[in-house]
Amino acid sequence: MRLILLLSGFLLLAGCSDDTTNQGFAGLAETADASEYLQPRPGDTLVFPEDYGPHPQHRIEWWYLTANLKTGDGKPVGLQWTQFRQAIQPRSPEIPSPEPGSWTLDAAWMAHAAISLGGEHRFAEKLARGDVGHAGAEPEPLRVWLDNWQLRQQKPGVWHLSVHAREWGYDLTLTINGDPVAHGDRGFSAKSASGEGSMYFSLVDIALEGQITLGEQIVPVSGKGWFDREWSSQLLKTGQQGWDWFALHLDSGDKLMGFQLREEEGGFKSGTWLPADGEPVPLSPDALELKPEEFRHGHPVRWRLQVHGYGVDVSVKARPGNYLNMGQFPYWESPVDVDGSHSGVGYMELTGYARDGAKD
Amino acid sequence: MNPFLAQILHYRRHPFQLLALVIMILVATMLWSAVSQLTAQARTSMGQSEQALGTRYQVQRADGQPVTVEDFVTLRRDGACVMPWLEVDSSTRAGRIVGIDPLSVACLADDTVPGALQGSPLDGQPFMDIGEAASLARTEPEAAERLYLIGADSISPANLPQGYRLTDFSTGPETGELGESFLLNLDALAVLVLLITALLLRSVHQLGMAQRRASFALLFRYGVTHSSIRLGLFLETLTLALVCVLPGVALGLWLANGLAGGFGQAMASLFDTPVYAGQGNHWLSIALVMAGVVLGVCLLDELAPRLTSVSDNLKQRQVPIAAGVLVLGLGLVWAGKSLPVVFLAVGLVFLGAGFLAPGMVAGIARWWARSATDPLNLWQYAELDVLARRLAFPLVALQFALALVLAVQALVTVFESTFDDWLSQRLAADYYVEVPPSADATSAASWLASRPDLIEPGAWHRVVRGRAALALPEQGKSQGIDVFSVGPVSDMLHQWRFLDAIDAPWAAFSRGEGLMVNEQLAMREAVSVGDTLSLAWGDQTVTLSVLAIYADYGRPAGEVLLPMDRLPETFSATFESLSVSLAAARLHELERGLKTVWQVEDVVIRDNGRIKTLAHEVFDQTFLLTRLITFVTLLLAAVSLLIMGWVFFSTRAWYYQLLTVWGLGQREVTFRLARLAVGLTGGIVLLALPLGIWLTWVLVHRINPVAFGWSLPMAVYPGFWLELGVLSLLIGLSIAGLMRWQLRHAHSRPLSASDVTGGER
Repeated sequence: MRLILLLSGFLLLAGCSDDTTNQGFAGLAETADASEYLQPRPGDTLVFPEDYGPHPQHRIEWWYLTANLKTGDGKPVGLQWTQFRQAIQPRSPEIPSPEPGSWTLDAAWMAHAAISLGGEHRFAEKLARGDVGHAGAEPEPLRVWLDNWQLRQQKPGVWHLSVHAREWGYDLTLTINGDPVAHGDRGFSAKSASGEGSMYFSLVDIALEGQITLGEQIVPVSGKGWFDREWSSQLLKTGQQGWDWFALHLDSGDKLMGFQLREEEGGFKSGTWLPADGEPVPLSPDALELKPEEFRHGHPVRWRLQVHGYGVDVSVKARPGNYLNMGQFPYWESPVDVDGSHSGVGYMELTGYARDGAKD
Repeated sequence: MNPFLAQILHYRRHPFQLLALVIMILVATMLWSAVSQLTAQARTSMGQSEQALGTRYQVQRADGQPVTVEDFVTLRRDGACVMPWLEVDSSTRAGRIVGIDPLSVACLADDTVPGALQGSPLDGQPFMDIGEAASLARTEPEAAERLYLIGADSISPANLPQGYRLTDFSTGPETGELGESFLLNLDALAVLVLLITALLLRSVHQLGMAQRRASFALLFRYGVTHSSIRLGLFLETLTLALVCVLPGVALGLWLANGLAGGFGQAMASLFDTPVYAGQGNHWLSIALVMAGVVLGVCLLDELAPRLTSVSDNLKQRQVPIAAGVLVLGLGLVWAGKSLPVVFLAVGLVFLGAGFLAPGMVAGIARWWARSATDPLNLWQYAELDVLARRLAFPLVALQFALALVLAVQALVTVFESTFDDWLSQRLAADYYVEVPPSADATSAASWLASRPDLIEPGAWHRVVRGRAALALPEQGKSQGIDVFSVGPVSDMLHQWRFLDAIDAPWAAFSRGEGLMVNEQLAMREAVSVGDTLSLAWGDQTVTLSVLAIYADYGRPAGEVLLPMDRLPETFSATFESLSVSLAAARLHELERGLKTVWQVEDVVIRDNGRIKTLAHEVFDQTFLLTRLITFVTLLLAAVSLLIMGWVFFSTRAWYYQLLTVWGLGQREVTFRLARLAVGLTGGIVLLALPLGIWLTWVLVHRINPVAFGWSLPMAVYPGFWLELGVLSLLIGLSIAGLMRWQLRHAHSRPLSASDVTGGER
C-alpha cells in the first residue's frame, strides 16, 4: 500500500531522522532522551506478573513467540507471533490514560504474525494507535491484543493465541512449563559494553497444540515454543546496525539463546545456556562464537555456532525458502535445524541486512 | 566521396530545409508528448476526482445511534476492517476537516483509501491526524464533530457483528460511467492527435524529398545505387529522429507541465483545492512512439515502394475512392454496434475527408479561375489551386487539428453542462436528510407538511428507493429494475431534463397517472412515452403509462420513477431520505423537529451545496486540463502550418517577385499574397467545421451509447467557430507578412528553370 503517511508515521514512531546509518535497525539505536524515558540499567530486576504487562515509561517493548511445530503427518511448521509497543511520549504510572475518544497518539502498536510450511512463508502485519482500545496489553491475567489477534491467559499456565490474517491464521493453546528465565544480570541483558541494554526474560519450555488455517484447509499442529519479553529505551548502541539472534531447542534437552549485535568492526555477543538440568548460565562474549557460512536473499542463513565450555559446535541452518518479513521494517525470521555436536530445532532472527546482501 | 556524406551535404547547400525538418519533428513530437502528458494527467485527475467523491462503505449502528470510538474498537476486535473518519466543522479552519488514523488504514485496500490521502501529508487540507482533529473539536466551542467508520471493500453485512449494518458512505455524488465515458473520448482524441502529428511530419518530409529529387538523380547518375540512397535516407532519418525526438518530448512535457502547473497554482489560489493531476512518467513510451512515427512516415515511400506505387495508381482515381471511403465510414458509424467498428469508421471518414479536402480547395480554386476575367484574379486562383495540392499534408493536418479542437471544445462544454445538470438533478435540494433505520419517514413527511411556516410546500420531497420486477410480455419474462419514488412533487424536480415527455409530465405524475423511466431502460427495452409498463412486487402489480424519459447519466441500471402513492404497502425500501430546501438559519429547527418526530438523538443532514462545490472544484481541474489539450493541439498545428506555409511560399519567392517585375506595387503584392494565404487557411477552416461537428456528434451520440447505453446531449458552439476563423485569418496574415519580409530579401535568381513558370503549372 502506497501510504507514505503510514510509513512516515511509523518512521516517526521509530524516531527516524535523515541519518539512518547510525540509528540501527528500525531506529533502535537512536539516542533516547534520558530525562524522558526510563532506561534499564544493571541492577534492575524483574517483577512478576507486572512485567508481562506494558511499560509506558520505556520507549520500545515486545512480546515475542516463536514455535517449531509439526503437522499430524510430521511436516515441520514454523510459527511467529509478535506484538510491539513503540512509545512516542513516555507516560509515568501516576498519569491516567487519555480517554479513547481523544485519539491521542502517545504510543503505537504493531503486531506481526507468520507461518512457514513447506518452504512457503506467510507474513502479516497490523498497526494501531495506543489508548484507543483496539490494541494493548495487560499483565494479570495476561492479555496482549491488536484487533482480533490476541494472546490471552485462559487459566494459570495455559494461554491461548489466535491470529486471523486475510488468507490464513492459527488458533493455539500454549501450556507453559517452567518459570521465566531471566537473561543477563537478573534480567538486565546488556547490548553493548557501554551500558545499552534491555530487560529480557523468556519462557523457554512451552508446549503448543492447535490448528493452523491455510485458505480453506485446517491443519492440526503441535510442538514446542519460546516466548520472549523484552523492553528498553535504548536497545542498541549508536553504530550498531542490527542483530543475529538464535533460540534453540536441542534434542539433549538443553536450550540456548545467543545473539550478536553487529558493528562496523566486531560487535557485541551474549547469550544464555539453559541446561536440561540445572540453572541457566549467562554466556560471556568470549564463550559464544558465531560465524556465517552461507547467504540467501542477502541474509546469512547457515551459521557455525560454538559455545565454549559446553561442547556445543553446531551448524544452524534455515530451511529452504525466503523468510523475510516484509513489513514496515523488513527482517528475517526463520525456523532452523541444528546439527553437529548437538541436533535440534529453533528460530533465527536477522535484522539490519540490506536485501542485496550488504549490511545497512 | 562517401555517398552518404554526399547525400547529407544537400543540407549544407539548403540549411533551411534541414531547419524546417528539424523544427517540424520537434514541433510534432512536442505536440504528441504534450497531449499525451495532459491526457495522462486528465486521466489521473479524473480518477482521483472520482475517488475523492466516490462512494465507499460505512458501518453504522443498527439502532440508529451515532457510532463512537467504542464501536470502532468493537468492530476492530471482531476482525472488521474499519477506519475512523472524524469530520469536524471548524469555524476557525475555514470549513470541514477530516481526521483519520493512518495506523488503522493498513487493512484497507488501496482503492478504499481516499485518493487524496495516498502519498499526501496530513496537512489539514482537509485531512489531518485524527488526534489533532479531535483536539481541535474539543478546543473550539463552535466546532461540530461526527465520527464515521469507513469499511473496507472486503466487509460484507454477513460478517459484521450483531447490532451493526453496512451503508454507503459518500463525500459526493457517484460519477459512475460519466468519468469512464470522458476517458474513453480522451483516448479517441489522443489517437487523432497522433494522426495529426504523423501528417505534419509527412508533409514536411514530402516537401524536402521533392526538393531533393534532383540531388538523388545526380547521385544515381554518378553510380550510387537506389538501395544505397535508401539506406542513406534511413540513417539520416534515424539520426534526425534520435536527435530531435528526445528534445521534442522534453519540450512537450515542459509545456504540458508548465500549463498544468500554472493552472494548478491558479486553482489552488482561487479555490484552495489540491491539484490532483500527477506528473506522470511516460516519456520513454512517448519517445518510442514518436520515433516510430518519424521513421514510418518519412520512410514509407522508401520502405514500401510497392505501396506507394499502388498509391500513385490510386491517385488517378483519388476522388471517387476517397468519396467511397468517406461514405463507407459514415455508413459504418451509423450502423456500427461495437466500439472497434465505430472507431474504424471514424478513421475511414477522416481518411476520406483528408484525401478530398485539398482536392476540393483546389477544385474550387480552378472553378473560380475559369470564371475569372481579371488576369490577376485568374493567377491568384490558379496559384491557390497549386498551393492546395502542394500543401495537401499540412492543410489536412490543420483540418484535422481544427476538427479535433472543435470536437474537444464541444465535448468538454457538453460534459460540463451535463455534469451541472446531473449535479442539479441529484442535488437539487439544499439539504439531504437520511432517514434513520428505525425511523418512519411518513411521520416526518406529515410533520413537514404541517409546518409551512418552517418549510414551504414545494420545497421538500421524500425519496424512497427499492427494487421491482418489470414485466416484459414480448419476451415472456420479467427483469429486476431499480425503483425510485418521490412525493410530493416538489419544485426541485421541475429542473429535470427530459429526452421525451408528454405535456406537463410532473402534473400528471403528481396525480399518479403514470411513471417515468430513465434513458437506459428506454433504450434497452425500446420503451417510448405513452407505452404501458407493469411492475410487480410479489403478487401485487401496478400498471402505468410512461409519462417521460429522463436523462440519467453515469448509471448502467434501468430505473423507473414512481409516484409515492402508487407504491404498494408491502414495498420494501432499501433507502429513504428527505430532500429539503430551506434557509441555513432554520436548519437547527428542522433538525430538532426531526429528532422529536423520530425520537432519535442524532439526525444526519448533508449540505448539498458543499458537495456541489467540492464536485465542481475537483472536476473543473479535469475539464481545464482537457481544454489545455485543445489549446496545445491548435497552437502547434497553427505553428506547423505557419512554418510549412512560409517554407513553401519561400520556394516560390522568385516567382512571386515576378509580380513586382510585371508592374504590381509592393502593397498590391502583399495584398495578393495575404488573400492567397488567408483563402487557403480560411478554406481549411470551412472544411474542418463539418468534420468537427460530425466528430462531436459521433463522440456523444454514437461512441457513448455503444460503450455505455446512454447518450450525451449534442450542442454546437458557433462562437468558437468564429474564434477559429479569426485564428486562421491570423495564420494567413502571418504567412503573408513573412512573405513580404522574404520578398524584400528575395533570391536574385530562380532556383530552377521551372520556378520561372511557377513549377507546377
